Amino acid sequence: MAKNDEMRPSILDSDTFKGLLPFIGLVVILGVMYWLTDGRIMQPKRLRLLLSQVYYPMIVATGVFFVMTLGSIDFTEGSTLGVASIVISQLSFYSIPLAVVGGILTGAAIGAVNGFFHVRFRLQSFIVTICTMYLFRGVCAYFTTETAVPASAAIKALDSDNLKIGITLAVLIVAFFLFKFTRIGNDVKATGSGETAARFSGVRTDRVKFFAFVAAGALTGLAAFVNVIKVGSITSTAGNQLETQILISLVLGGLPITGGSKVRFSNIVVGTLMYTVLNNGLVMLGYDSATQQLIKGVVFLIFVALTIDRKALKVIK
Amino acid sequence: MSVLLKAEHIDKRFGITHAVNDVSIDVSAGEIRALIGENGSGKSTFCQMLCGIYTIGGGTFTLDGQVVNVKNQVEANKLGVSIIVQEMGTLSGLTVAENIFLGHEEPFMSHGIKNTRAMIREGQKLLDAYGFNSIRAGAMIDSYNFEDRKLVEIVKATYMKPKILIVDETTTALSQNGRLELYKIMDSVKADGRSVIFISHDLNEILTHCDTISILRDGEYIDTVKASEIDEDGLKRLMVGREIGSAYYRTDYGKAISPEVVLSVKNVTVPGQIENISFDLHRGEILGFGGLSECGMHEVGKAVFGASLDRSGTVTLSDGTAINDIPSAVKHSIAYASKDRDNESIILNESIRNNIVLPSLDDLAESHLLKAGKLNHFAQEYAEKMQTKMQGIHQLVSDLSGGNKQKVVLARWLGKGSDILVLDSPTRGIDVKVKQAIYALMQELTAQGKSIIMISEEIPELLGMSDRILIMKDGKINGEFMRSESLSEEDLIAKMV
Repeated sequence: MAKNDEMRPSILDSDTFKGLLPFIGLVVILGVMYWLTDGRIMQPKRLRLLLSQVYYPMIVATGVFFVMTLGSIDFTEGSTLGVASIVISQLSFYSIPLAVVGGILTGAAIGAVNGFFHVRFRLQSFIVTICTMYLFRGVCAYFTTETAVPASAAIKALDSDNLKIGITLAVLIVAFFLFKFTRIGNDVKATGSGETAARFSGVRTDRVKFFAFVAAGALTGLAAFVNVIKVGSITSTAGNQLETQILISLVLGGLPITGGSKVRFSNIVVGTLMYTVLNNGLVMLGYDSATQQLIKGVVFLIFVALTIDRKALKVIK
Repeated sequence: MSVLLKAEHIDKRFGITHAVNDVSIDVSAGEIRALIGENGSGKSTFCQMLCGIYTIGGGTFTLDGQVVNVKNQVEANKLGVSIIVQEMGTLSGLTVAENIFLGHEEPFMSHGIKNTRAMIREGQKLLDAYGFNSIRAGAMIDSYNFEDRKLVEIVKATYMKPKILIVDETTTALSQNGRLELYKIMDSVKADGRSVIFISHDLNEILTHCDTISILRDGEYIDTVKASEIDEDGLKRLMVGREIGSAYYRTDYGKAISPEVVLSVKNVTVPGQIENISFDLHRGEILGFGGLSECGMHEVGKAVFGASLDRSGTVTLSDGTAINDIPSAVKHSIAYASKDRDNESIILNESIRNNIVLPSLDDLAESHLLKAGKLNHFAQEYAEKMQTKMQGIHQLVSDLSGGNKQKVVLARWLGKGSDILVLDSPTRGIDVKVKQAIYALMQELTAQGKSIIMISEEIPELLGMSDRILIMKDGKINGEFMRSESLSEEDLIAKMV
C-alpha cells in the first residue's frame, strides 16, 4: 500500500527525456558501429543492404504498433509471414495482384482469429497469440517440410528497391494518417490508456481491439509479399523469430509495453532502424550468432528498463 | 488532559507542491480530533507521514513522549499508530484472517511455518468480539464486498489497541450501519484514554462525533476549534477562507415538473442487481435516486447508460430510440458520470484534453479528420468553463485532485452537449467549493431544459437538489417523494431500510 515516495522528477524519469531516448539511442548505436567498423557501415553498398533489411520488418512493425498501443502483444507475425508467403508464392503463378490480395487476406484472417479469441473469450493476447503462433508455424511447416515452396519467376522479377521503398512509405503514411488524424487512431490509444473508461466514453473497445489484430495480420500479409519478392522461395524457417524482432524493435523505438497515451508513431521508424543497424553492425564485426544474441539481449534489457512507464505498469492485456 | 501526540513543524513537499507547510498540532489523550480541509489541503498527507506511508519531510511527531519516525505501517503499528484508509486497504488473494494479521504473523509462526488454523481461530474471535459475526475469518477477502472489507480493515487497525487511530475518509465507503459500527469503535478508543484522528468531508458527521476540529488550508494549519462551539457554516468559512454563499443546495420549492417525458425506463432487470425497475424522467427535472449502498441504485445509472451486462427491459427516449449500448447512449445525448470515477469516468493516464474530447470526436471531425488545433480549443473551452485547476490541457488527469477530476468529467459531457445526465455520486470525495460549483451547474443545466438523474448516498444532497426522489431497496423502487420543504431525512431512511 505504501505509495511512491518523494515524486521528485529525476531527469531519467522525465517524459521529455524518455521521448528523446530512442533518437539518442539510434545516434549512439550508429556512432558506435561507425567507430567499431571504421566507417564501413556507412558505405553506400552497406547502406543499401541495410535498407533492404528494413522494409518488411517496418511494414510488420506498423501493424503490430496498433496492437501494442492497446497494451496487447502479438506473437504471430513470424508464422503469419510464413503462411502468407506460401499463399503468395502459389498464387503468383496465376496473377501478381491476386497474390498480393491473397497474402493480405491470409494475414487478415489470422489476425481475425487472434482478435476473435482475444475479444470474444477475453483471453489475454499473449496467451492467444502464443497458441496461434504454434498453430500457424505448424501449418507453415506442413507445406514446406518436403521441399521449399517456389514462387513464380514473374514475382521475383519485381525485386527493386523502388517498389519496396514505395510500399513501405505508403504503409507508413496511411498508418500515420489513421493514427494521428482519425477516430480509429484515437480510439486505439484511448483503449490502451484505460479500457473501461474508454468504453464508458462511447468507444467500441471490442471492435477497436479486433481491428488492431486484423490490421497487424493484414500488414504482415503485405510484408510477406515484399519478402517473397526478395527471397523467391519459401522454406520452413520463413519468418522465424520475426515476432521477437518486431517486439524488440518497437521497444527500442521507445514504445511503452503498457501502450496508451505515451505511444509515438516515430517508435516504429526509429526502432526498426535501430534494430537493423545493431544487427548489421554485429554481423559486420564478425560476431557469431550466439554472441550477437547475447549483445542484443543486453541492449534490449537496458532499453526496457529505461523506457518503461512504471506508473502505468500492469500486466500485458 | 495530557497531550498524547505532539506534531511539531511538520512539513512535506512533492516537487513544486508544498503539501504540508509547517503544521503543529497537539492531540490530547482521550479525544476524537477531526482534521478537515478541502481536497489538497494536506490532511491525508499529514496523517500518512505519521504512519509511515510517506516519509516525514520535516518536523517531528512525538507520541507519548516517544519520537515517531517510521518507515512503514508495520513499524507504525508497533509504536501504536494505525490507520484506516480511504481506498481499498485489504489485499486480495488472502483470507480475512491473513489480512487482519498482515505484518503481525509472528504469534502464529513456529519454525517458519504458519499455523493457519490458529490464525483463523484468533481472527474469528476478534471478528465476533467486534460483532462482525457474518464475516468468516477463513474465507477469502475477495468474497466480501467493499463495505465488509472496510469492516475487516477496522478490525485490523484497532485490535491491537493503538494509541492513535487515524480514520481517513473511511465513512464515504460505509453504509449507515457500517458507520455506526465505526463510531462505536471510535468512542471506545476514546473511553480508553486513547485518541482518534478523524478525516471526513461530512461536516455534519464531524460535528456530531468529534470533540475538537483542526482545520488545514493549502497545507497550512489554520485553527483548532471545539465541536460544541461552532456550526457547519463556521467550519466552511474556516476551510475556504471566505464566506460560502447561502446558495449551496437549491432554495426553490414548488417548481412544477414538466409533463414532457424525455426518457422512459420500463421493466429493467439486471440479474442480481435490480429487478423490474420502471420510471420516467421529465424534461428539466432532477430525479434523485437514494438507498443503501447495495440497493441497486448505482446499477440503475449503468442500465440507463446502456452499460449493464445482461440487461432486460427497455430504456427509450421520447422519440422512441432504444438505448441498449454505450455508444448509442452517448450518441443520443446521454451522459454518465460514474461513482467509480477513476476507472469508469476518466482515463487516468491520458491528458485532460484527450479525456474531454473523447466522447465528442465524431462531432469534432471534419470529414473524418481530427485536427489538433480544433481539439485543443474545444478542450480548453470546456476545461475553463468548469474552472478546472490545471497547468494546461496536456497535463495528465492522474495529477489532478478528486474535485478537479470530476470537473474534467463534467467538462467532457458539457462539451458533448448531452441532454440527459446520469450523475452517480457527483460530489463523492469532493470539497465544499467544488461541490457548490457542481450544484450550481446542475441548476443551470436544468434551467436550460436538460434532465438529470442524480444517484446519491448523501441524504441531504438528495433532499437539497432533487425535484423528485426515488428510494430503492433490495434492487426495487421502494418509495417516491416529491420535493418539499417538509420532507425529512427520516422519511427517506424509513424507505431505505
